[in-house]
Amino acid sequence: MTQISTQRLNPAANAGSEKARTQCFIVFVGGEAFGLPVDSVQTIFGIEAVTPVPLGPREIIGLVNLRGKIVTAVSLRRRLNLPEPVESRSTLAVGMDHRGENFALVVDEVGDVIHLDPEAEILLPPHLGERRAKFTKAAYRLDTGILSLLNVSAIFDFPRHL
Amino acid sequence: MDDLLNDFLAETSEHIEAAGEQLVLFERDPTDREAIVRIFRLFHTIKGTCGFLGLSRLEHLTHVTESLISKLRAGAPATAETVSLTLAAVDRVKNILAALAETGKEPEGDDQDLIAALRTHAGASGSPQEPEQAAPAPAAVAPDKAERDKAQAPPKENLAPAVHAPAQARPETIRVSVSALERIMLLVSELVLTRNQLLEITRHQDDAIIKTPLQRLSSLTTDLQDAVMRARMQSVGRLFTSLPRLVRELAVELKKKLHLATEGADTELDRQLIELIRDPLTHLLRNCADHGIEPPAERLALGKPEEGTIRVTATHEAGYITIDVSDDGRGLDLQKIRDKAVAKGLASANDVKELSDDEVGRFIFAPDFSTAAAVTSISGRGVGMDIVRDNIESIGGAISLTTVPGKGTRFTLKIPLTLAITPALIVEAYGHRFALPQHSVVEAVGLGETGAHTLEDLQGSLVLRLREEILPVVALSSILEIDSGSRATSGDLVIVMRVNNRAFGVLVDAVTDVQEIVVKPLGSSLSELEVFSGHTILGDGSVVLILDPTGIAGRMGFERANDYTGGRVVENFTPTDETTRFVLFRAGPGALKALPLSLIVRIESIPAADIRTSDGLMVVQHQSHLMPLVPLYSATEAPLQTTNPVLVLGVGGESMGLLIEQIIDVVEARLTIEIASTSPGVIGTAEIRGEIAEVLDATYFMQLGRPNAYSRGVAHQFHVLLVDDKPFFRDMLAPLIIAAGYRVNTAASAAEALTMFEKGARFDAVVTDTDMPQMSGYELARRLMREPRHRDLPIVALAAHAAPTILQAAHESGMYGAVGKFDRPALIKMLSEVLEVRQLHKHDLEKTVIGSAAA
Repeated sequence: MTQISTQRLNPAANAGSEKARTQCFIVFVGGEAFGLPVDSVQTIFGIEAVTPVPLGPREIIGLVNLRGKIVTAVSLRRRLNLPEPVESRSTLAVGMDHRGENFALVVDEVGDVIHLDPEAEILLPPHLGERRAKFTKAAYRLDTGILSLLNVSAIFDFPRHL
Repeated sequence: MDDLLNDFLAETSEHIEAAGEQLVLFERDPTDREAIVRIFRLFHTIKGTCGFLGLSRLEHLTHVTESLISKLRAGAPATAETVSLTLAAVDRVKNILAALAETGKEPEGDDQDLIAALRTHAGASGSPQEPEQAAPAPAAVAPDKAERDKAQAPPKENLAPAVHAPAQARPETIRVSVSALERIMLLVSELVLTRNQLLEITRHQDDAIIKTPLQRLSSLTTDLQDAVMRARMQSVGRLFTSLPRLVRELAVELKKKLHLATEGADTELDRQLIELIRDPLTHLLRNCADHGIEPPAERLALGKPEEGTIRVTATHEAGYITIDVSDDGRGLDLQKIRDKAVAKGLASANDVKELSDDEVGRFIFAPDFSTAAAVTSISGRGVGMDIVRDNIESIGGAISLTTVPGKGTRFTLKIPLTLAITPALIVEAYGHRFALPQHSVVEAVGLGETGAHTLEDLQGSLVLRLREEILPVVALSSILEIDSGSRATSGDLVIVMRVNNRAFGVLVDAVTDVQEIVVKPLGSSLSELEVFSGHTILGDGSVVLILDPTGIAGRMGFERANDYTGGRVVENFTPTDETTRFVLFRAGPGALKALPLSLIVRIESIPAADIRTSDGLMVVQHQSHLMPLVPLYSATEAPLQTTNPVLVLGVGGESMGLLIEQIIDVVEARLTIEIASTSPGVIGTAEIRGEIAEVLDATYFMQLGRPNAYSRGVAHQFHVLLVDDKPFFRDMLAPLIIAAGYRVNTAASAAEALTMFEKGARFDAVVTDTDMPQMSGYELARRLMREPRHRDLPIVALAAHAAPTILQAAHESGMYGAVGKFDRPALIKMLSEVLEVRQLHKHDLEKTVIGSAAA
């Protein structure tokens, strides 16, 4: 499934721009690949029992007990407004922290960790939907296609309505 | 941040708190030399340590303050001014310390204002031994840590005992950081959970080899939990230290003589709770000082001591502590409260007669129920007793009051010792489990064949007849909108709860367990769900949400105004008295003026410099366009102020301002025009809350300010369709929308609305209830959206609450947004939002047309 090859940064680019170098973790949802900043990923686990949250946002699947910690499970699929699959739902989750809160981002599949070349960054196409644009931090040109780096804090930020 | 700075912050923060208190003590009793000596030492210590740490701003400030205090120490009289100034310095030091704790650096800025004032006071006899330090060491140049540790050690030993001057035999203590305690608490919580898990597993086993040590483990865990809880306890004295200063400030501000007495300062409470009750306590004190205690002259005339006493006492009872705040003032004006309760429709005139004094007093906890005749800065607007009650109840506490006319009022706060662990029922609805904290549960009532009680249907709502009471009941599954799936409604058990003195029942399938739960707060993504107060992990490892009884009552739609009818169901819902909210204001000499609040879009304060005269009209630059201002008083009557309050009215999508002198209050009153007026711009004279006021005719001023918009507004008003199946809401909302400058038609059902459209009616916007029989508002929206000619028609959903789920559903069915039915400002704002966008388009269009015509 993971055909995205690991890109090596050329040493010249590496020398001066340690900051610009980004490592990213690939996840798949609805057949599309997305990147997560690698330092935000804590663990990968399979969700067993979920406690749904009545009246909560649709994107929040529920609460999960991850080794004694209560984790809020968010569906990346629903967050990106992708259609629900006909077959059974995914139980694979990426454990992440956001502002001291524990989250689990539910995805279809996980892939490799790759390095992103800052020079491969491209401008976000302007016609990217508003919702998609909000959740996308940057896009990179890879050998195998274009990869969106997700904006983790936007994904886990649920606005207050009242 | 390095340890040294941490130590400094911890120590100094504690002492600076005490310094304020000492200072007030000293002012009361200038013979208390010890107090001033302690304060002096404290500032001296801070100054010294700052030098070591390279905190130049703090050093400079404490240095100058020290000079002033040294004067007091030398015998200079402690005037109110010097004490206030020193208190201001204490505050400034506190602020700088807070910033230091946060960032590890001193905040930007200097304290020249304060330093200059301090110096002027100290300066008169400015002792020459306090030469000004030309350039304090810059913060960056700090000696290396090892050196500093060495250097710090001796002065610490020298000065620390000095600070604790009255050396008492104290139990040995060590300083533990709060985070370390929190961590232990967290671990113990986890231990409790694991213990529960073990107990769950072995519940059905009779193996003595496991049972005995498990029993032991269980009781040890309980003991450990108890011990850690105690370690987190702090004395409420910590809360009391800030009170003398508050009372002093109140006394100065209110020109009253106040005496504060505190008792039980050593009563202990969880530190988290101490912080949570700080605000409510402060507010109660303000209330006592402002409303309770009479002015000195009045007290003398009544034969009371000139100085009023506010007493704060804390006592410990099983599982709770009680904090009493009492005053020896005039007591609550019960007649006034009775009248107001009737006027506000909280109770009928007959009911209030039957209520006891204390029951009447409880009305002050109703929303927006302020007894002050004048709004003062002390107990002002914004924070009411209802907020105090909310705060106390949100931590599982209770507030009550007793009042004796002429003798005083006593508020009693009952606060649980800790929030962290609480016994809870585990209830089930359609296979979902929830925890329900026991503190608000009164009883569980079995239904049907097993129980003696049955639920009755009252016009679609469930009620339970329990002894003499009729309790409103709601199924948990319907409150939480849990999908029943294929299961039939079961619901065998009604859990009776009491919140705010009001009893109600929640229908559940079963109570599966009773457990001690460790309450963990919800994350920010879920914290806005009012029906849940937190979540926890049960013994079997599953996560459950903790229900919040107050939130459930709110979601059931209980108006808190009805609290005072006990558990009785209010039988007739027809609003008996129509009251209107008025803005009462002053403009020119003579009687106060009044305008219905619903006509006012917003209130602004506009600097005189921004007001221009153009073409004989006053205008102000507002956002990108000019807004006309109509002054309600002439320049000969009163000159313009530096900033002027302006009431902004909306006229057919445009705005104009009424320039007034001063806003007095917002009052709710029944409008009865006593004397009809013949002068233009005035509807008549009315008595509003005991004041004579001229009720103004807004349309007159709209014509003055926006003659074009007004006439065009009448011809081209935006046309809004309001769809709601309940006449009550149609009657309530239609006038509001009209008042905002729109034309309104109403429809009693979605079908009726569709028919109107089919017959060719045109509307600029639709406001629809979501929950209607036959066809919901969502379906109405979907049907309208299907037709291309309605593509741009903005539709706004009206729901009981603008909950996220509703907003989501609204968006999905193509609506523009959703607002709460009782949230008038939100509705008007959203309407102007959707309609003003259209108007802009129109303007653009006009411009293009004109532009092309000119070419």
